This record gives sequence, structure tokens and C-alpha cells, in this order.
Amino acid sequence: MAVKSRSKTSLFLEYIIMIAFTILCLYPIIWLFINSFKTNKELFADPWGLPPSLSLKNYIDAFVEGNIGTYFVNSAFIAVCVLAFGILLSSMAAYAITRMKWKLSQLTLNIFLLGLMIPIYASIVPLFSIFNALKLLNTPWAVIIAQVAGSFPMAMFILTGFFSTIPADIEEAAVIDGCGILRIFFNIIMPISKSSIVTVGVIIFLATWNDLLLPQILLSDPAKMTLPVGLMAFQGQYTTNYVGMIAAVIVTIIPTVVVYMFLHNNIMEGMVAGAVKG
Amino acid sequence: MSKVMANKKYILLFVLPAFLIYLCFSLIPIIYNFIVSLYSTNLMSPGVFVGLKNYINLFTQDDIFWQALGNNILMVIGSLIAHMPLALLFANILFNKIKGTRFFQTVFFLPNVICGVAVGLMWSFMYNSQFGLVNEFLSLIGLGRFAQDWLANPKTAIFAIIVVVMWQYVGYHMIIQLAAMKNIPSSLYEAAEIDGASKWKQFTSITLPLIKNVLRIDAVLIITGSLKYYDLVAVMTGGGPNHATELMSTYMFYQGFRTLKYGYAAAIGVILLALCVLSLVISNIAFKSEEVQY
Repeated sequence: MAVKSRSKTSLFLEYIIMIAFTILCLYPIIWLFINSFKTNKELFADPWGLPPSLSLKNYIDAFVEGNIGTYFVNSAFIAVCVLAFGILLSSMAAYAITRMKWKLSQLTLNIFLLGLMIPIYASIVPLFSIFNALKLLNTPWAVIIAQVAGSFPMAMFILTGFFSTIPADIEEAAVIDGCGILRIFFNIIMPISKSSIVTVGVIIFLATWNDLLLPQILLSDPAKMTLPVGLMAFQGQYTTNYVGMIAAVIVTIIPTVVVYMFLHNNIMEGMVAGAVKG
Repeated sequence: MSKVMANKKYILLFVLPAFLIYLCFSLIPIIYNFIVSLYSTNLMSPGVFVGLKNYINLFTQDDIFWQALGNNILMVIGSLIAHMPLALLFANILFNKIKGTRFFQTVFFLPNVICGVAVGLMWSFMYNSQFGLVNEFLSLIGLGRFAQDWLANPKTAIFAIIVVVMWQYVGYHMIIQLAAMKNIPSSLYEAAEIDGASKWKQFTSITLPLIKNVLRIDAVLIITGSLKYYDLVAVMTGGGPNHATELMSTYMFYQGFRTLKYGYAAAIGVILLALCVLSLVISNIAFKSEEVQY
């Protein structure tokens, strides 16, 4: 893989290119962070420079006037529920499909995987209508159920991939020891699948936390909105309070950046799982 | 053992919850969507069956729909041109092992995990005509005369958005291609090195052909991704100025959830689904995948 002969100039050029793009990737975020401590006047006067003082006013405004705290809690609640149900249900189904013996297992898997190529737009109008009929509109449960359903294709793809690599002896030994299926699944299989489950988990978390369309459609009460929807409402309400919006954006992306810092390997591995097999 | 693993009760217990939720909230809605698209309805009073009228109106009377469709196609082409070569370039550089590979990988992928709304707002500030960094940067390098209100100008808005999409997704495509490159046995490169092949020749004769399959998948991801685009545009321009950046997704949202023409919106959804499936089929034909034995 490593090519031995490389001229110094081409190596230098490559570094320049990579560093340039690094700056392009990071600078907007850093810029946002720096400017979240300025006032609007200071922003207009000096967009490039450091803030004259580390004023937390914008953040306080975002929480007090902008209700970011409420949006944050709503997003968190929905994310936790989607994670819990999504991981539990998809791992159970994936396990049954790969490890248990029944005739329709492959067909069922294919049906799940079909969802990988279906855009959400093909179902949002009916989803709205269905949740309306179920009287779940404007509750977090509509978003939770819809997100869980949407998470299955990718989760099944990753989990079935992993479960099929577990040697069968493990279950044989467990059965000989007198374990029932539930014991095998929860006490043996799940612990050794931690890495794949974390991968599925971060994908689900990111998709749910960052989603705009579903909450925008299914929730109408401002008190129930999630962060992305709240951010958009913010933009409508405070169109000229740029620094206020900047603070709100920072609050929104902090959880994802933190999760990313700790779990970026899992995230990258999961996101490309659909594209590259093996 | 096989009795335990074939116990029908448990199989149902394990599979049914996920399958039922998926069936009711993912699959059935798609079929229901086809049906709704044949009606004119606001979902509150009973709808009127109109057959294919929604589709006919979309294609023959709706200029905005054509604008949106054109914009989507523009985004597909723009994304293919912008993302693939750049991702390939970065992936190849990293593949050739320079110092800091892990660092670059992590940084380049970061924009992809950030919420679309946040990215949109962030870049709205970048493009802001009064304090935005884009204009400031242009005047810094002497191209100040090009400074303008990028998102408010109908001619530049869509391209400004394509740049932001590129910012968010190049890292993602780079990681995919890098993973594919890593599957190529190094013996091939060593042999080529011995034969005196230049790096460029190695790239075009070894790397490219052997990752063709993944490039095909990546192209499909770019195409379907561009068709599904919503968050960024909704936040940065809302489809404006004057529908210059309208996409099928934003238009569908507007028709359905703002003007309550759900049947019409459902029809747009069906068209989007058809386009996604079509691009999958076309790419399968175009990039005929050959199993390369090495």
C-alpha cells in the first residue's frame, strides 16, 4: 500500500491540500464558538477577532428567551427513547434472523433491507395521517415511533452482519448448560456484541438528534419541539440577533461533537457500513 | 439444541415487534402514499378521487415543480462533480500513508455529524453580506468585487448551497473510498513499483478499477442523497429567493404542510421514490460490476 518513491514536493503539496481542507472543516465551527461570546455590535465591527470579553449573555438569552433548554430536553427524551426501543427491537430481530432456525428468515431480512433505499418523503404524508388518526400528533411518541421504524434497515444490516460472525459453539455450550433463549440472548450474545451495538447506537442517536423533517411535521406546539426545529424557529424570531443564534447553534451541536470525540471510530465505521462490505 | 433455536414462540417474540412497527410505520405508509396521491385532500374532510390528475398537474401546469426538479438535478450533477474527485483525491492521499492520517480522517468526517440545521445556519453566517467570512475572505485575497449576498441572489444561491453540501459530505465519501482502497492487496502495488509504474499509473490502473464497485455505490449515495436534500435548504433559503433554490423536498413540504394539499404532496413523494429507485437501477447498469479476481 505504501508507495516508496515520492518526491518531496508532491508530499509537501499533499500536506498543503490536507491542511487547507482541515482549516475549511474546522474554522467555521471555531468561528461560531468565538463569536458566541460577542455582542452583535462587536460581531459587525470585527468578525475575525477574538471577543473582547467572555460574555455568556448570548447563552443565557438562548435559554431564557429562546427556550433552548426546553428544546434540548425534548430532543434528549426522544433520542433516549428511540435508542432504547431501536436497539432492543432491532437486535432481537437481527438475532432471530441470523441465529434461529425458521424458513422465512431470509425473506424477512430482505424486507427490512429494502428500507435502505426508500426516502422518507415517500411516507411522511401518510405518517402524518396515521398519527393523526392515532391521536399521537404533537406528542413525542409520534416522532419516536417514526424514528424507530426508520432506524430498522440500517440497524438490521449492521447487526445481522455481526451476529453471523459469532461461532455457533457459543449457543451450543449455553444450551448444554441449560440456558433458555432469553438467557442466551441477554446474558451472552449482547455483551459480546457491544461494539456493533454501540455503532448502531451512535447512528441512531445522530439520525434522531439531527433530524428536522419528522419533528417539524409531527410536532406543532413550540413547547414540544426538538432542537433543530427550535433552531429554525429561532431564526424566524430573532432574524437579526446573529450572536444569539450563534449561541443557540453551539448548544445544539455540543452533544454531537462530544459524542463524536469519544466515538468517532464507531461512527465512521457505522456510516460507511452500508457502502463497503468487508 | 435445534429445538431451542427453532422455538416458534420465541422467534415470534424476537421478530414480531420490530417487524410490526416497520410494517405499519415504514412499509404500509408507502403504499398508502400511492393511494393518497390519487386524491385531492386536506386530510380533514373526505378527499376527492382525482386519479392521475395530481401527476398531470405537476408535470404540465406547475412551473415551480419543474424548477424544483431542475434544481434537484443540478444538485445531483454538482454533487457528483464536487464530491467524487475531491473524495478520491483525499482518500488517495491518505491511502498513501502520510503522517496524521487518523487526524485528517476524524476532522474531515466531523462536518457530516453536525445537524443540517446547524450547518445551514453556520453557513448563512458565512455567506452574510455584512460580516460573513466568505466576502471578507474574498476582499482579503483581492477579489473583493465578487462579494455579494450569495444566498439572496437567485443566480448564486443554488451554487452557494452546493458548496455547503460539499463541505458536509466530502469527508463521508472519502471515508467510504478509503475503506475500499484498503481492501486492495498491497502486493499489487509492490509489483507495480518494481515494474517502474508511476504513482499516477498505479492510481489509474490498480486503485480505480478495483474500487469501481464501491464508487458505484458511492455515486448512488450521492445521487439519492441529493434527491433527498432538505434540512440545509429549508434553513438557508427556504427554497427562495423566488424558488431559485426550491427542491422537490421543500416544495413537497410546502404543498402538504403549508397549503394542506396533501394529495399533491403525496404525488411529489411518489416521484421522489421513483427517482431514487431509478437511479439505483441506472447505476447498476452503468457501472456493470465485474467480479475482479486478484
